[in-house]
Amino acid sequence: MNMGGAIDIVKRGGKRPSESFIREKLHASVVAACLSAGAPTGHAETIAKAVTETVIQWLETRPEVTSHDIRLVASRHLRVHHPDAAYVYEHHRVTL
Amino acid sequence: MDIPSSLAIVALAALIHASFQLSVSVLTLLSGHAIGAKKAKSRIFRLTTSYVIGAGVMTMLALSFIALLFIHIFGNSVPLLVWAIVCGLVLGIGIAVWLFYFRRGKGTSLWISRSFARHLSDRSKATHHSVESFSLGLTSVVSELVFILPSMAVTALVLVQLEGVWQLAGIGIYTLISLLGLLIVWAMVGGGHSISKIQKWRETNKRFLQFSAGSALIVLGIYVYVTKIVTDIAGMM
Repeated sequence: MNMGGAIDIVKRGGKRPSESFIREKLHASVVAACLSAGAPTGHAETIAKAVTETVIQWLETRPEVTSHDIRLVASRHLRVHHPDAAYVYEHHRVTL
Repeated sequence: MDIPSSLAIVALAALIHASFQLSVSVLTLLSGHAIGAKKAKSRIFRLTTSYVIGAGVMTMLALSFIALLFIHIFGNSVPLLVWAIVCGLVLGIGIAVWLFYFRRGKGTSLWISRSFARHLSDRSKATHHSVESFSLGLTSVVSELVFILPSMAVTALVLVQLEGVWQLAGIGIYTLISLLGLLIVWAMVGGGHSISKIQKWRETNKRFLQFSAGSALIVLGIYVYVTKIVTDIAGMM
């Protein structure tokens, strides 16, 4: 199973260089969204683990994706587990 | 203009200031990042409190500075032409707020420079200490100066006509009322309400907030024009 080390992530806007997929980074961002939406820490960790696993499975067949793609896929799966957290996850860039 | 009328204008101008959303957006971002980073509740409380105090201090300083500028240039009797210019500014910004305040599309993005919005967003994420939060509060007020300048200018014009004690009271009233929006969000975050609910409410009601802020500015401009300029000119005849 691909543990996320060899997949290149093209950053938003294409101005910054590509970087390898970091599982912990995605996990932390989903946990943060869940906590902001009022989920208890344990629940947030469980949801983040499930969402991260799903995203990694989705990544297995793709050698290169954009960070926006990852955000869309993660947010689609997060919506199933915690709609409010998905809202925070999708909207934090358009708050200001 | 008598004291009750003057203070009523100050209160209305401060309410209009409170209805602008940039500081509130930064506070929700700051709270969201702090909660997401698993900071202790006491730390989140200190960060949000420092932010609100910072916004209050900058509001007070900015209003005092504008009032001082008017006193320095015109003394206690400001020419009617200046009143007319400020009324025009209030009406113009009111119409601009109607048309341009929130960007189209999802979220609560405002018509401010994108690089500046990114900077504020990045700073809210990088804020870990109360002093940083305090300075973020100061900066957020400066960032929305283009929207709040008309309300502050009208307030300053009204205040310079009053006695010293009432000037201080007016500055205090303006600062307190202008912080209402921030204080509500601060209390909700402190009370454990989720950021997503607050943000959803803001997004759902953003067109109403835009319309009411623009309309209130236009009403303020017309009211001040009639009570000051028209009344003074009629009195001269």
